Amino acid sequence: MQVKSQKTTLFIFLFLLLAGAFVADLAIGSVAIPARDIVNILFTGQAARPEWRTILIDFRLPRAITAILAGTALSVSGLQMQTIFRNPLAGPFVLGISAGASLGVAILVMGFTIAGASLSFGFLSNWTIVGAAWIGSGLILMLILLISARIRDIMTILILGIMFGSAASAVVSILQYFSNEAMLKIFIIWTMGSLGNVTYSQMQVLVPGIVAGLIIAFSLSKILNALLLGENYAVSMGLNIKIARILIFLSTSLLAGTITAFCGPIGFIGIAVPHLTRLFFKTSDHRILIPASMLIGSVILIFSDIVSQLPGYDATIPINSVTALLGIPVVIWIILKNRKFSSLG
Amino acid sequence: MTNTINNILSLHNLSIGYSAGKNGILCERLNVGARKGELIALIGKNGTGKSTLLRTIARLQASLAGSVTIRDREIYQFSGRDFARLVSFVSTENVTVPNMSVYDLVALGRFPYTNWIGRLSEEDRNIVEHSIKQTGLALLKDKNIDSLSDGERQRVMIARTLAQNTDLIILDEPTAFLDLQGRHEIIHLLNKLAAEQKKTIVFSTHDLNIATSEADKIWMLLPGELVEGAPEDLILNNQIKRLFDNSLLRFDSASGSFVVKKQSGAKFSIMGEGEGLLWTSRALQRLGLTITETPAQAHGIIRVNQNAESFNWQVHHDDISEEFASVYLLANYLKEHFSFHLRKKQ
Repeated sequence: MQVKSQKTTLFIFLFLLLAGAFVADLAIGSVAIPARDIVNILFTGQAARPEWRTILIDFRLPRAITAILAGTALSVSGLQMQTIFRNPLAGPFVLGISAGASLGVAILVMGFTIAGASLSFGFLSNWTIVGAAWIGSGLILMLILLISARIRDIMTILILGIMFGSAASAVVSILQYFSNEAMLKIFIIWTMGSLGNVTYSQMQVLVPGIVAGLIIAFSLSKILNALLLGENYAVSMGLNIKIARILIFLSTSLLAGTITAFCGPIGFIGIAVPHLTRLFFKTSDHRILIPASMLIGSVILIFSDIVSQLPGYDATIPINSVTALLGIPVVIWIILKNRKFSSLG
Repeated sequence: MTNTINNILSLHNLSIGYSAGKNGILCERLNVGARKGELIALIGKNGTGKSTLLRTIARLQASLAGSVTIRDREIYQFSGRDFARLVSFVSTENVTVPNMSVYDLVALGRFPYTNWIGRLSEEDRNIVEHSIKQTGLALLKDKNIDSLSDGERQRVMIARTLAQNTDLIILDEPTAFLDLQGRHEIIHLLNKLAAEQKKTIVFSTHDLNIATSEADKIWMLLPGELVEGAPEDLILNNQIKRLFDNSLLRFDSASGSFVVKKQSGAKFSIMGEGEGLLWTSRALQRLGLTITETPAQAHGIIRVNQNAESFNWQVHHDDISEEFASVYLLANYLKEHFSFHLRKKQ
């Protein structure tokens, strides 16, 4: 039972780390707000200066909450993909979900202008971009589900997912080529990812989407454990593979698709965090891995957010670059450490 | 047809393969059975459909025609969970999972019994512990499966089927990755489980010595036909020889073992006695030379001399006489001088 208490200690440690990082994320920015005032504002609503309250509640808080949601969602969807495809380099986007979302946004932002319609920038509100991304990734999900009901070999589904993603990216390139500068810039900025565009009204969609995806994922813990042995073994132990695949893909798309719609495609978190989780917790049990990767993913994305704000400078850098620079060493480490891919983490 | 009443598993005019088209069918109208507590070895050449047959019985692949029944019920009439409580399966795949302990893997066998989140009850845990003990894994139970040898990992997969608590266990080439000792240990374990726990175990194998010495019954898959019987029956009625009709391997029913048919090259007559004679004959067989009883027909004569503990060999052929201090040197000489005969025949 010593092992169990070690894991509990790790959970408590990660939780405290997350709380600390959360407060630090709120404190850092072009206007410095002392940590004590942050706690005061959060718990009592009282601020020493009224503008601190506005900055904190209207800007930094939704941004930090979004970071937690995104870190959680991307990590859990990446974990599920690595398990079902039994591939250590699988991530939330292997099914083409982010490529589908990009295509949706690209058609919205650039397609209409190419077609000659003159759109006002007002039309490109947050909501329409979110909607276009959602429709794009939803369509890819439908395709994947249709295929997975008919094709037995899971590797074929993986390859088809990658192909759909590539096809969508190719169409996006064509649109970019013919697009005008202003629209191209809007699109490029979207692809760089952002945690800061989510408003409280959008959270009313974002939060239920992520929570639903997480509930499905957690209820699949036992099934994911069985799938570690491969689909044949899982089926021979009584698993209904069609339903399992549908639920796993649905959960992944809800998690990764929703985050991509609101924040743009944020890379590497989904691949790297499951490996770090296995490394720290030394288990393959999804009943532990899912909550643990939620915590680690949140900590890492909040940390990335702090880095992206370049404390001490006025400028910020895109979140996608930060997660890539933090995530790539982890992925390289995975490859170097496990040439066999058999002793991951 | 033999007595089928006591069969726990029966195949009725079963056709297996990948599609109903002519090319997809591997075998048609198969009729065999298995009784409770029997250890059954499925043998047959590569590509005849051994894996397909096992996968069809385990419901991992649809049959093309006919049916499989377990306890007189068609297998697809069971729900997935009920079927998983009747039949467990071990595939040829070498499973590696990072950070999974032996205990965790065996505990997965309780999958068809546990609740939605997979919580192990007191009873589940007892069954898992018992399965681990029965397969001799007690000392390894906290180890990562990635750190085990192939033989140990195969034991873990078998322990998992015990935790699944099924009457029927199907194993596709459980000895494929193993060395000689590992093979015998695994098959001996299966034999014990069949005899003591009345499990019905069907496994495919390429190792005919193991199949004929350990199995209660053999299913022999020939192109288009499945023959069943005790190993001894198949040997006595010459059925087993049908496996080797066009191949270099043949079954020597006198010694009960399998020997490689080599093309006969030059003929030799060997003179000597005891172990010296036996092992010299072996060496000549290995080289593909023929041994004849009548020196008059031989290309040469080999004399084995024994002085206390040491041997020497004299070869006489075409008025030449040579002497050698070891079988190795003798063999090299024979290869050099009679390679013409060997090559000519190939």
